[in-house]
Amino acid sequence: MIGAAFAAVRTVAGKELLDAWRDRRTLWTVLASAVAVGPLVLVLLSALLADLEQRAQAREVWVQGIEHAPGLRNFFERQTWVVHPAPADHERLLRDNAIGHPVLVVPPDFEAALARGEAPVVELVSSAGNPRAEAGAARLAQMLHGYNHEQATLRLAVRGVSPALLEALRVQPRDVADAAQRAAQLTLMLPFFVLLAVLYGALAAALDTTAGERERGSLEPLLACPQPPLALVLGKWLAVTAVAAALALLSALSFLPGQWLLASEALAAMLHYGLGEALAFFVLLLPLAAAVAAAMMAVAIRSRSVKEAQTTATLVVLVVSLLPMLALFGQRGEQPWQLWLPGLAQSVLMGRVLRGQALETTDWLLPLAVCALLTLLALAAVVRALRGAALR
Amino acid sequence: MIEVEQLAKRYAGGRGRADVVAVAGASWRATDGRITALLGANGAGKTTTLRLVAGLVAPDAGAVHIDGIDVAAQPVAARARLGLLGDARGLYPRLTARENIVYFGRLHGLAPAAAAARAQVLARQLGFAALLDRRCEGYSQGERMKTALARALVHDPANVVLDEPTNGLDVVATRALREVLRRLRDETGKCVVISTHVMQEVERLADEVVVMAAGRTVACGSVAALRAQAGEADFEAAFVRLAYGGAQPVAGAGA
Repeated sequence: MIGAAFAAVRTVAGKELLDAWRDRRTLWTVLASAVAVGPLVLVLLSALLADLEQRAQAREVWVQGIEHAPGLRNFFERQTWVVHPAPADHERLLRDNAIGHPVLVVPPDFEAALARGEAPVVELVSSAGNPRAEAGAARLAQMLHGYNHEQATLRLAVRGVSPALLEALRVQPRDVADAAQRAAQLTLMLPFFVLLAVLYGALAAALDTTAGERERGSLEPLLACPQPPLALVLGKWLAVTAVAAALALLSALSFLPGQWLLASEALAAMLHYGLGEALAFFVLLLPLAAAVAAAMMAVAIRSRSVKEAQTTATLVVLVVSLLPMLALFGQRGEQPWQLWLPGLAQSVLMGRVLRGQALETTDWLLPLAVCALLTLLALAAVVRALRGAALR
Repeated sequence: MIEVEQLAKRYAGGRGRADVVAVAGASWRATDGRITALLGANGAGKTTTLRLVAGLVAPDAGAVHIDGIDVAAQPVAARARLGLLGDARGLYPRLTARENIVYFGRLHGLAPAAAAARAQVLARQLGFAALLDRRCEGYSQGERMKTALARALVHDPANVVLDEPTNGLDVVATRALREVLRRLRDETGKCVVISTHVMQEVERLADEVVVMAAGRTVACGSVAALRAQAGEADFEAAFVRLAYGGAQPVAGAGA
């Protein structure tokens, strides 16, 4: 009896896997959207980061009317900055994000006004909608402040006043964040994309084995077979979990070649991602794959069509994928309660793996228990739906 | 042999709507080696009765016995003795006919080799052996019907229940199906039950007729016996008299 039920579970799981394998269009879509997008985003982000790094080190300034301020040009050149003439329509270019640097506008009577002690006004033109120019604007403002300070010091010295009198205190800014730390922010995206692969992998298979079965009218003949509903449900669940787990593995492995393409040195140095990390990701995601598969089946079995099921199952995708995003934007860092929520817990633990921190037994045992409980509840719901008079 | 006693089933209407009474006291018996037809208008409760027979729906009252096995008490054992071609006869479009049939054979407890052999035999008997290894997505209505029938017969059940089997079939396919059902009766002595609303079908095929109206069994017997009982020479007229007491039914009278 038990042996026969096991054989039924195997038969159902085998058939569902074959069915999923033959559904090539869905297979390719899932592979493309879930597995390829992760490395792609990683490479794009690293290119952006590399661009920012390069800009941070660039010693260049674009000025309109530098010919009116030879003293200022001399100051820039003493700081080994290169002065370029600004494009005429720089305001439009800045608005359109066509140039990635701020522009300094010097009025025609700058040098004369300065000599008269009238404090001439220079314009620092940037755009809040242009992040690259904004980053440069802060550095340019600092340079101008330096010139201001130099001029003031000279004037005081001419009048025989010690410049030190003007400085009641001195501020020495020191930014402890380095490029590697900024890169760490980006590596937090990795778990998110692996998580998405699990969700989308489970989605298609879960809907096809439940709502799809009802939609095409094959559920009734299946239930007319002399098998307990539990055996049918277990077989289907195993198949869906296997698909989700396979996509988790593929997507975790796909970051290995992905990181060879990294353009940012800081990110490449920061990202300790090898075969060990990939396998750790996979092991952490297995219980989630099982729970998500069961949850989606439970949601979809009540729907009469795949389309209807898709609407409700998208909720599961949304909740599980949104939680890690909240943690990503959250300011407080890791919290103990985060390990209680499926999706968020896995994302937190994968983050630890990326940072090379050790995982305590309780750390992975708790999410495992939560996922196991969720799986049991969801599978019980699917069995109940099949057993009950849900058939019309 | 299938015995149905005083079956009743009502579906909850939900949110202020009245309950729908699908079956309200159906009793009949279908014996081995005979074709029994459940005859009734649309909505007379035929499909629900057959679902109750297969144990897909639990009855509110009454009982079904398949070869003496109580369906409510031992659904798995009862189903093993029943082949059902229900109202829903969907196939898995990405699987071939052979894979579809073998899958159900395995779920009926057949060994892989036995299931494969059965698929071959049934495909030859039903005349679609050439299709066996083609995927089901492009099948015609008749081809789908044959595959679904083979799937229902894969475990060689002693009892076969078919819900409106000729629905959507052309003349050639219908005649072929009738031939198959007669062979099931004559060569293997199976108990065959079909539901239909087509008089012609019943006259040509059925040994025994169960007339259903508004969820009730209103008459049982052979075609000749029913004609005599109603006092009508025409079977259609006899059916109307038996089902609706002679008066033409008002639209929607059959629940």
